This record gives sequence, structure tokens and C-alpha cells, in this order.
Amino acid sequence: MDLHMASKLIYTATYEAENPIEVSLREAFHLLEPQLRPPFSLKVPTQPEYLNLNRAILFGILCELHFAKVHIKHLHGIVTDGYTFFTSLLTKVVNELYSKLVDSAKIQLIWITKELIHVAAVGFDALLVALLRQIVGGDFSEGNLWLCQELVSLFLFEWDCLLEEEPLVLASALYLFLRLLADHYRISGNSKIEALKLMEINLCVRVFREQFHLCLKIGRDLIRLLQDLVHIPEFRVIWKDLVLKPTEFRTNGFVDILQLYQKRTSSRYLLLRITPEMEKQLRFLLTHVKLGSQKRYQVWFMRKIFCVPERETLVIDIVRFLCCAHHPPNEIIQSDVIQRWAVIGWLLKSCKKNYVQANVKLALFYDWLFFDERVDNIMNIEPAILLMANSIPRYLDMTHTLLDFLFLLMDNYDVERKGLVIQCVSSAFGVLIRKGVIHSLDVLTHCDMLSPCLKESLGKLLPANPPPVSYCATLGFGISDGWGISNSIIGPTPFIWRGQRFTASCSGQAIALTNKITTTCSTENTGAPNSIAVTASAKLSQMTNIL
Amino acid sequence: MISLKDIVPAAQNNINTQFILLDKGKISLDGQHKTCLALVADETAGVHFQLWGDECDAFEPGDIVRLVNGIFSYNRNNLVLRAGKRGKMEKVGEFTLVFVETPNMSEIRWVPDPNNPKIYVQEAVISPYSRIFPPMQ
Repeated sequence: MDLHMASKLIYTATYEAENPIEVSLREAFHLLEPQLRPPFSLKVPTQPEYLNLNRAILFGILCELHFAKVHIKHLHGIVTDGYTFFTSLLTKVVNELYSKLVDSAKIQLIWITKELIHVAAVGFDALLVALLRQIVGGDFSEGNLWLCQELVSLFLFEWDCLLEEEPLVLASALYLFLRLLADHYRISGNSKIEALKLMEINLCVRVFREQFHLCLKIGRDLIRLLQDLVHIPEFRVIWKDLVLKPTEFRTNGFVDILQLYQKRTSSRYLLLRITPEMEKQLRFLLTHVKLGSQKRYQVWFMRKIFCVPERETLVIDIVRFLCCAHHPPNEIIQSDVIQRWAVIGWLLKSCKKNYVQANVKLALFYDWLFFDERVDNIMNIEPAILLMANSIPRYLDMTHTLLDFLFLLMDNYDVERKGLVIQCVSSAFGVLIRKGVIHSLDVLTHCDMLSPCLKESLGKLLPANPPPVSYCATLGFGISDGWGISNSIIGPTPFIWRGQRFTASCSGQAIALTNKITTTCSTENTGAPNSIAVTASAKLSQMTNIL
Repeated sequence: MISLKDIVPAAQNNINTQFILLDKGKISLDGQHKTCLALVADETAGVHFQLWGDECDAFEPGDIVRLVNGIFSYNRNNLVLRAGKRGKMEKVGEFTLVFVETPNMSEIRWVPDPNNPKIYVQEAVISPYSRIFPPMQ
């Protein structure tokens, strides 16, 4: 047996049809096999010949380990399009075949990716993003951790190259590894993960400290991710700096964390945490399946996603994706196809863990908190209101839970900017009514079965004459917002989040939380007797116990 | 390729079609061979499918399947679609196929066409949906 025979590219189960991409690569390889060894032909290939040669070389690189270097030399020699076709083909292989690739092909894939970075191949950033998307959330299997390890190493090692050629891909890496760290920190006693965590922290901190302008491009979801990590010392420092010393980041124009809150996160980041397969299934569901016919699809989707309990955290990313990265056109909205709010309701109900449920709700409402009609998209806030309204009367507990959570968020998410948050949420409701997403809040405020307390709070949210938007969105300076709370944010800002009180000096002011959360006192950071801190887990469980 | 709503019982391996597997019943033994009844459907109709041997474990609900040279006939009193000796099943995808569960071609009473006894025609609907795999609520 020839030990140097090409291996296969993918595993194919019996009864599985051949994959068209694999077939086209394999056939090109076998057709052109004689031409793939030196001396290489100097004849200029026609366009179809050139494409086929690319396919053949790609197959050879992934399947002929021993000739990989020969193949890449060949590629360097023939390339006339800056590697555009080759890289896009490889990206397609990753997006559609990664999970089926044999192990040796995966190793080759990482190798060739590095080679393409070194020659600044056109489209290598899309290739990297495709690879990042193949890391499955909540999956701690060996294969998945291997990919994590390879990619974080790649980003660290190729830092200079990436920075020079496609710096924005570092922002994608930051988003992804911040998100993964939250999952990885829930696992202990696995030495592989310990080493991995260190590298991930290393990479993320480096982006924050050396390329903060890239962090700014991510926008508000960066904060959402960071807040899950403030128990990690390196991120606690970053968090403190973000809030108290924005100038530490030495980025012109960044003077306040509010600027991050006010930037809507692009869907390109939210897509990072959804595999292409999951994306395809979700978009299919929301485009073709009628409400009432979704049950079987839900069972199949759940079976894939929740095959392991740890995978539940994926729902957080799915909900964020649904709100921000899938905006159905009017024809679909007006049809009998199942809507996003219904899918989100089902997903939320499927979550068993409290912290996951809380994070899912946060993901659902996240664009409400600093909603600004001028820069935000009504489609990001639409699912939440429809879920609340349409759950009446059959699933009233859902409406209760969500409204409760919203008010809790408004009071506690950023106490110092509470007035602004209230204003933004109020504005969100206003826009939803004005644009006809719902006729009015009567469906909620006039619902007999809803608690009077909630209805009263809701009523207060809708002033007859909305106060003028009185903050400067671009520069992020806060001005008194008409709600009676001074929001001047120049200088150190005391506030509480997730159990830590951050302040340069103690305000000496007891901050009254809503009557639903009673506070426990502990002096963690400042040592000042009046400082109030609610331990993170207590707060979260309080929030979820009410819900 | 034929839509499921157009299949007619016949002693021929002439069914070329594509569908999604909705549900699988219990695997039982028919002599030495595993056998298993399933519900499959496409955009036009559903039908009971008889899985045989290795097929029983190779396919799961959610799989999109292409069938060539299949046969739709009475097999031990069940009117089922199956690959048969000359047919072949292949998984071509997952999830992304729209389907309906009614009519169910196996839950129809077929009789020979009075004008041409070699051909079957529909006489009556026994049940709009599968009685073995009712729709999920």
C-alpha cells in the first residue's frame, strides 16, 4: 500500500449522499493529479483550468500531508487573483464541511490558514471568521477544545500580521473569546481548559490594552460579555478602567463607557456565536414554517442543541442573533409564518438553569436599555414587546416574568445612569407604538390579570409628552435628563454592578433598590460603611426567583 | 421526481421522490432483519415508510432523504413506501424541507380503477392524518 496515498477529505456515513463540494474537489484532484508534481507546467491556464487547478491543489493540501508543501509552492506559483478563489473555496469548505472533515484534514486546514495569512490572501479574514464560527458554544468535547486552542494560538502568534492586514478580525476574535471564557469558567478540574483560559485571557486583554479602538467597533454587546467576566481579575481591572478611567485606553474620543452602550452591535459579531448550520435552520424556520407547524422542527432543533445540558448557554447567543441579525421582511411579518417572538418564547421556556434564563432575558432586552431611535433598529426591540403582548392571556407568566425583569433591569443595570435608561426604555415603547408594532400599551396596562404594581410602573413609563432626548449621543456626555437625576459623567462615576461598587469616593448615599430586592450590606471595595453591595449570585438569584 | 400526493400503489419500483423523515417507530425483528415503520412527508403529503435492515439506524427524524426506485405497495397488510430490493435511500440534508402531514397516502382506501383494473385509484380517506404517528400538538 502506498503510504502517501491521498486520504479522504470527509467522513461519509453509509446511506449518506455524496457532498457536491467534496466531489468537485476530489474530481479536480484526480483529473489533474499528474500536473500536481514538479516540474510544474509554465503554460498559462484558462480561467476554467485555473479554477480547477485551485480545487485540485486545495484537495491535495488537505489530503496529502506529505505533499502539502509542494502543493502550496505550486499555488504560490500559479496564483493570479491574490488567492481570492482559493480562499473563498476554503471558506466554503469550512462553512459547509468542517464538522465532517477527517482529523488530518482539520490539521491541514489550520496550517494552510496560517500560510494564507502570511501572504495576505484576499478574504483570509472571512476564512478566520468561518473557523471561529465552528467553535460550538457550551461544547467541551476534545475536538471542539482543540479548535479553540488552535485558533487562540493562531491569533496570538499571528498578531502582527493580522493587525497590519485585517485588524478588524481581532475584534471578532475578542468578541468570540470573551464569550467562550464565560462558558470555560464554569468548568473546573480540566487542565486542558486551564491552559486554554490563560491564552484566551491573554488575547482578550491584549486587544483591550493595545487596540482599544477595535473594541469600540463592537459596541454595547462588548459590555454585556465583559460583565460576565468581572470575577476574573484581569477583566475586573479593565472594567474599572472603562468606568472610572476611560483615558487609560488612550483612544482619542473615548471618554465615557456610555459611548459603548450607545453603539448598536453589528450583526457580524452576533453571527460569530451561531454555526452556519444553526443559522440556516433558524432562518428556514422563520421564513418557511407556519405558526402551528413548528413543533417537529423544534424537537429536532432541541435535540441537536441541547444534547448536553451545558449547551443551554447557546440560547443566549441564539436570542441575541434573532433580535439583531435576523430581520424578516414585511411579507414574512404579515404572513402566517412563525415569528421571532414565538421562537424566543419557546427557547426561553426550554432553559432550565436560572443564570441562563436571566442572561437570555438580558439578551432579549439589551437594545432597550440605551435605545436611541436615531441609531438603533426597531427590529431589535420588536420581539420583546410582541412576546410580552402575545403571551396574554394564555402564557401570562411569561408576560409577568418579562415585565418584572425589564423593570429590574431599569432600576439596577446602571444605577448611576438610571434616568437615562428609563428614558431610553420609554422611548423604545414610544417608537414601537408609533410605528405600529403594537397599537398601544393597553394590551398590557388594561390586562386584568397583570399585577397592578406592574401596570402602574408601566403607566409611568409613558409620559404624555416624552421628554426631549437630552444627551449627546456622539460624545457621550450626560446632561441632566429631566428626570431629576444629575447625570454629569465627567469624572469618576460611582455605580454598582454585579456585586462590586466602583467609585473613587463614597457617595455616602444609600441607593434604594426597588422594593423587590432587599439589599445586603458588605463592604467589598471601598471599605466605606455606607457602601452597598449585593453579591452577584444573590442578586441574580433574587432577580430570577421573582421571575 | 414525483410528489408524494401523486404516488399510487403498484407492484413496481418506480417511485423517485424526496421527503423528510418526521418520526420513527420502534425497531422490531422480521426474521433476521430489523424493520421499522416511519412517517415521512413532503410539501404535498405524508406517507408511512418501511425502513429495513441497516436503514433503521441510519436515518433519524429531521433527515431529508432522496429515494430512487422505491416501491409503494401493500407489505404485510400495511400500505407503505419503501426502498425495496431495487431501490436506494440516501440522506441529502437535514431540517430545511417544508412538509404537510395530510393527506397521508397510507391512510387512503385504494381500489382498482373500474376502467383499468391494473391501476389503483383513491376510493375513500380512512384518516386525514397518520393514526400511527399523529401530528404533534
